[in-house]
Amino acid sequence: MTFRQARWEEPPIWDLAPPRPGEAPSLVPGIPERFRRKEAVRWPELSELEVVRHYTRLSQMNFGIDTGAYPLGSCTMKYNPKVSEVLARRKHAAELHPYQPESTAQGALEILWRLERMLTRVTGMSEVSLQPAAGAHGEYAALLMVRAYFRDLGQSETRTEVLLPDTAHGTNPASAAMAGYATREIASKDGCVDLAALKAAVSEKTACFMLTNPNTAGLFESEILEIAETVHGVGGMLYYDGANLNAILGITNPGRMGFDVAHLNLHKTFATPHGGGGPGAGVLAAGDKLAPYLPIPRIVKTGRRFRLDYDRPKSIGKIKTAYGNFGLDLRAFAFALYHGEDGLKHVARRSVLNSNYVAMKLGKFLPRPFRPLVKHEFVLSGAPLKQRGLRTLDLAKRLLDEGVHAPTVYFPSLVEESLMVELPETESKRELDHYIAAFERAIGDTDENLHASPRFLSVRRVDEVRAAREPLLSWKDLRAGAKAETP
Amino acid sequence: MLEALGISSLDELFADVPKKARIGRMGVGPSHEESEVVGEVDRILERSRALSHFACFLGGRIAPRYVPAAVDAMLSRSEFYTAYTPYQAEASQGMLRALFEFQSLWVELTGLDVANASLYDGATAAGEALLLCRRIHEGRRFLIPASLPWEEKSVLRNYASGPNLHVEEVPYDARSGGLDLAFLRREVAVGDVFGVLADVPNGFGHVDEAVLELKSTIGAVPLVVSADPLSLSVLEPPGNYGADVVVGEGQGFGIASSFGGPLLGLFACRREHLRAAPGRIVGATLDAEGRRAYALTLVTREQHIRRSRATSNICTNESLMALAFVVYGSVVGPRGLAQLQTTLAEKARTLASALGGIEGLQAPRFDAPYLGEFTVEVGRGTADAFLDRLRRRRILGGHPLADPRPGAGPQPERILVAATDSVGDKEIQKYARAARTAMESSRGAA
Repeated sequence: MTFRQARWEEPPIWDLAPPRPGEAPSLVPGIPERFRRKEAVRWPELSELEVVRHYTRLSQMNFGIDTGAYPLGSCTMKYNPKVSEVLARRKHAAELHPYQPESTAQGALEILWRLERMLTRVTGMSEVSLQPAAGAHGEYAALLMVRAYFRDLGQSETRTEVLLPDTAHGTNPASAAMAGYATREIASKDGCVDLAALKAAVSEKTACFMLTNPNTAGLFESEILEIAETVHGVGGMLYYDGANLNAILGITNPGRMGFDVAHLNLHKTFATPHGGGGPGAGVLAAGDKLAPYLPIPRIVKTGRRFRLDYDRPKSIGKIKTAYGNFGLDLRAFAFALYHGEDGLKHVARRSVLNSNYVAMKLGKFLPRPFRPLVKHEFVLSGAPLKQRGLRTLDLAKRLLDEGVHAPTVYFPSLVEESLMVELPETESKRELDHYIAAFERAIGDTDENLHASPRFLSVRRVDEVRAAREPLLSWKDLRAGAKAETP
Repeated sequence: MLEALGISSLDELFADVPKKARIGRMGVGPSHEESEVVGEVDRILERSRALSHFACFLGGRIAPRYVPAAVDAMLSRSEFYTAYTPYQAEASQGMLRALFEFQSLWVELTGLDVANASLYDGATAAGEALLLCRRIHEGRRFLIPASLPWEEKSVLRNYASGPNLHVEEVPYDARSGGLDLAFLRREVAVGDVFGVLADVPNGFGHVDEAVLELKSTIGAVPLVVSADPLSLSVLEPPGNYGADVVVGEGQGFGIASSFGGPLLGLFACRREHLRAAPGRIVGATLDAEGRRAYALTLVTREQHIRRSRATSNICTNESLMALAFVVYGSVVGPRGLAQLQTTLAEKARTLASALGGIEGLQAPRFDAPYLGEFTVEVGRGTADAFLDRLRRRRILGGHPLADPRPGAGPQPERILVAATDSVGDKEIQKYARAARTAMESSRGAA
């Protein structure tokens, strides 16, 4: 146990040089006086070095993949190759405007077009759009496409339901509700979709069944072909949540499994950095039925030229400014090019091997609620910790003191006190063994130490209840000492 | 590891994938060495022309603006860029604090009470604002300016279409391009309006004084203002003239234009609407030793807790871009921001007067105040042909405002022209000469 995070006594940026209120900026020529700002923006005037030092110190109080293993289940925190960072900053990538003439942006369009082609093959779908900024954004767009499709069939009045398993990511029901659908959860059996329950639930009201495969319990839904048949049997659409695509690259794909539409998260499977919560890059992949509804513009190749095509009368239109998160798409393209066919297949095999190895080792410490063969991630139950007066949360916090990140906790919710562990293919066996040893030390530590953890990070256990009860959400709130009214 | 698992081949790990669901080869091509990847990607990228190749007058919501090296240096700290959403607050104080500072800066710029930790881009932030308005006010109709960029209209219609809401356009005054307040007043009186959006500067680049009268015109109906953050360094904060929500595109603050992504959605609202707000929010609290600490908060609004009853489906946002925003704001500082906006406004005036006398061009098209950009109407030939002539002289003269969809019908030949920080008098005069020549030759062609 040698990990110590930096612990700077760094004040908030406004305390470095408290600004004086009052001085208004001078009037911009032509702007009417009554539209003029009466007081300067209240923010400190600092030297560049002061700013750099401040954010460097903050960075040293933040844990990233480069710091240590980051086994957040369903988040696929793999190494972000440095070469991608270099390429995304090339002037022919960073210094491009989405509205510059197509003839001057042929390189960028080619990157997007080629990535779309690669992802079409990876997913086994007909067409791909890179426009969504994130997975959930892709979910929403896909559900709008499903709606438009049923509207054209004259079924918008009857197809009112989206079904999902109780293990679904929270974004699935949230996106379905945003798209105007009623949601219905299907209870799982042994961590997988209960086919009988699904058969009983589907009807002419079913617009869509949303499924992650492997699912969030880390299990492959082996009855996927029967599931597809069941949903298609009532005329519904099958939606693939691609959060867990890492486990099946080159083994199977959404198209072969019978899905009609899918989203992928390039910031998971294709190694683009997640930036402390974003940016992401979503991908929409559609089969023949839904492809005409993809967002515009589509990128088309005529001869050797690439152009943006807006002539798609069935398209849902735009879901974001411009064409997607190009800087991330470029990184994903570099990742795919580097790995190629065999490399991508190896990604899946190695990530599943890592997961099964660690699952077997950690299964000695905590129960595994489902069958032993898992895919890229697995779930443990922290329920036995309760006998010691402890919770999964205490174990998660204690793990932070080992210089590794905590697993995803309390998801999926069908497992009591759940922990979900994912150590992707970029982690070596040495790192896996280090993680297993850290886990053993953490769970074997005294109850007192677990309660008191973390002890070696920049702060001690953070009071999240207080944060929600008395919201202080900005400097303005801190200045006012405001206790927010909470309607 | 195979041995430890008691299996002899990796294939056994996929015994749960039915044979009929297996695939053969994907067909994505061979692997490459890192050096080959660099060679191939560079070869493709160089088929584009970087903006620095041109005199660049492109703008709109995406501003090609100089990014101080210090901003990218902070973004390149891998403790920041290789982190996930800060679920474990103790391990993630750095990003949480940076996001809290970002929220604070957007609150100061807008004059509102609370900001979230970012959304995807300005257009989707406007979409989330629309949904918030519906949660706090009854009705089916959302009113937007007819001058709004077509992309934003399309995004807004998609955010409205889920809950079957209607987005309707408020016409603009033919002379000033500003909102028709009389029309707006009538429509609100008709009823069923749950929100109104206005933008500053508007889609034509102009600062519309009517916006200051909006709240008194629409009364209890929630007002959303979509504002360019740089403009707020010199303009009245929308919170002071009645905005309930202020959204914006934050790319101009330290984020490369990067062919339009990643961008940064800015979102702030009044405190009474906090529980209805979308997205991640960072709050200040204390740790077990009573020291200041930060955490994601009010999570019971969010999809991972509330599922189908969440205020939004946001999981990923644009945290790293939010970091860029606050580092940029801090490196440039409030005086520097106001100075930059003033300089861009002065350049735009110089450009307008240089283009003003050219026969066949109406520059600016609208008679209203402006900051760094304005609309030009091409009176002869098409906007595309005009811009193409400029491009051949290494000038990116702006972008057409027309909706490019074939079904959109005939539209005025207008372009949005922006004074960027990379152009000076020399480029402005070059633009004017090229524009004059282009219009003269279009007369010849006609």
